[in-house]
Amino acid sequence: MIWHSWRQFRLQAFVALGVLAVACGYLLKLGLDIRDAHDAALARCGGEDCARALNEFQNRYRDTLLFLAAGLGLVLALIGTFWGAPLVARELENGTHRMVWNQSVTRRRWLAVKLLVTGLAAAVAAGAVSALLTWAASPVDEVSGDRFDTLLFGSRHIVPVSHALLAVVLGTVVGLLVRRTLPAMAITLVAFVAFQFLVPNVIRPHLLPAETTTLAMTADAINRARSLGDISGAPVVGGITLPQAPDAWISGTSPLLTPDGRPLSEARFNGCLDDPARTGAPGTFGDTAVCLGGLDLHLAVSYQPASRYWSFQGLETAFYLAVTALLAAFGLWRIRRLT
Amino acid sequence: MSRESSPVLQAERLTKRYGRRTALDEVDLSVPRGRVIGLVGPNGAGKSTLLQLACGLLEPSAGSLRVLGSRPAADSAHLARVGFVAQDTPVYASYSVADHLRMGERLNPSWDRELAERRIRRAGLDPAQRAGGLSGGQRAQLALTVAAAKRPELLIFDEPAAALDPLARRGFLRDLLESVGELGAGAVLSSHLLGDIEQACDHLVVLCASRVQVAGDVRDLLAVHHRLTAPRDRLAAPPDGVEVIRIEHDGPHARAVVRSGADLRGLPGAVEPVTLEELVLAYMTRAAEDPARPATSRQETVR
Repeated sequence: MIWHSWRQFRLQAFVALGVLAVACGYLLKLGLDIRDAHDAALARCGGEDCARALNEFQNRYRDTLLFLAAGLGLVLALIGTFWGAPLVARELENGTHRMVWNQSVTRRRWLAVKLLVTGLAAAVAAGAVSALLTWAASPVDEVSGDRFDTLLFGSRHIVPVSHALLAVVLGTVVGLLVRRTLPAMAITLVAFVAFQFLVPNVIRPHLLPAETTTLAMTADAINRARSLGDISGAPVVGGITLPQAPDAWISGTSPLLTPDGRPLSEARFNGCLDDPARTGAPGTFGDTAVCLGGLDLHLAVSYQPASRYWSFQGLETAFYLAVTALLAAFGLWRIRRLT
Repeated sequence: MSRESSPVLQAERLTKRYGRRTALDEVDLSVPRGRVIGLVGPNGAGKSTLLQLACGLLEPSAGSLRVLGSRPAADSAHLARVGFVAQDTPVYASYSVADHLRMGERLNPSWDRELAERRIRRAGLDPAQRAGGLSGGQRAQLALTVAAAKRPELLIFDEPAAALDPLARRGFLRDLLESVGELGAGAVLSSHLLGDIEQACDHLVVLCASRVQVAGDVRDLLAVHHRLTAPRDRLAAPPDGVEVIRIEHDGPHARAVVRSGADLRGLPGAVEPVTLEELVLAYMTRAAEDPARPATSRQETVR
């Protein structure tokens, strides 16, 4: 059965091996480039320029690394689409299941071995790319301290391996239910991408209960934020960092709160935005920051400390493996009843 | 019943529905071992359904079916005992002929490599040829080889020769019978062409309108069915023990296919032997004219 599964998978495996070799070569070169740039930035660190040099270094690679993280996510979706979905659907479509299911191998064993062979290949490929990408990006990740970034988190360390396994099993089960290759591929692609959006935004923040703290919004603190307000005019602050835990993942931020714990009124907020007292203060938000800072405001912040990074890697991997196992069990149950 | 003596196929009130359509309607059937069984009936009669139930590709909606004494495809050991060649003989297009034999060897502990290679040679197949490029007849030969070389006790063929031209058809059926004989296996093959069945089978099951119309060893069936030519009124009320299967009026005379014991005395008019084709057509016509007739297969099974 292993021979049979491998024989059917051979061509796809060789194509994947070629793509993998190119990807690994590129990541190796990228990692070496990043290390050179990092060394150069550190060399400029003697003077006061250190922060700026490191920031430039980080900005130079940020887009590339985000692109690569998204690319890895897409490749995993394609693994589900091109390896998972046709695994059973093509047999059902071509009628070859009527031949292979009458050899001396039960359908369950047949499916289990197919899933194992394909899943193993997907896990090895995803693991190799993830390991190289993690290595290549590590100097940048260290400087930027945003390892919990929605996109980046899913492309580092062990998590991508579990994503790859889910992709294969999801595709296979969709193929089993839909029984036609092309629709199964389309559904798998959409379902897996939707799941990959859902998990970081809806499930990941709740894998561990968040810590909460209040952050006093002095003029200084406001100037460290990335944005003020939104298109609805609500008194919100975006892109804050906690001074006591700079690398923490901020999973929730309240609107600006007055000392009695009520949201700042939009009128006063917009008053500070549109027409602050002129003081000529420096900083990102200048007079507005001074105006808001004088109101004795604070934020209620929920966050996950950076020290939980590995807990989150482990928990998300476990979550994906659990979903994968459930789907596989369903597939093995369903295949016996398939007619 | 021990495993060795249990019937090849035993159906009890076997029913298969696809949504609202009933493909098999409370079929009772018991076929003894050591026969080459022909399953004959018009297209859509439920032949394919019955055979796919027998090899475990389909599950019954109600009733039961036992093959060689077990539930079809119960486990890998039972799968090894039954070989199946599906309609339109599917093969892996990207596999070579040799790959198919390797697959068979890997997936069947009882694989007979020598038999497989001999069959491939005799059928004139090139082991290196990709199966996607084989003709219909070659593909059927390949599928037959894969099914036969695992040395099953029962070989099931679903319209195996349907895609073949008449010449290839004859040759293929001859090969098929040779394989069955060589294995000492039982076989079931379905066809909507009576000629195939006549050439190959010694046991007949006529399936029409989702029901078994008649079943039995060909020799026995021929012994108890007769063609009768008699005045019309003599056949209107046949004597006890004589069943009129089909009657055709021809002026004052009627020609009928009747079933009665081997004792021909007491039958009115001229009695002649019936051909297998007449017999089958009589049952098929009766089923087509009166599809609501209750299932009577058990009573009409000839032992």
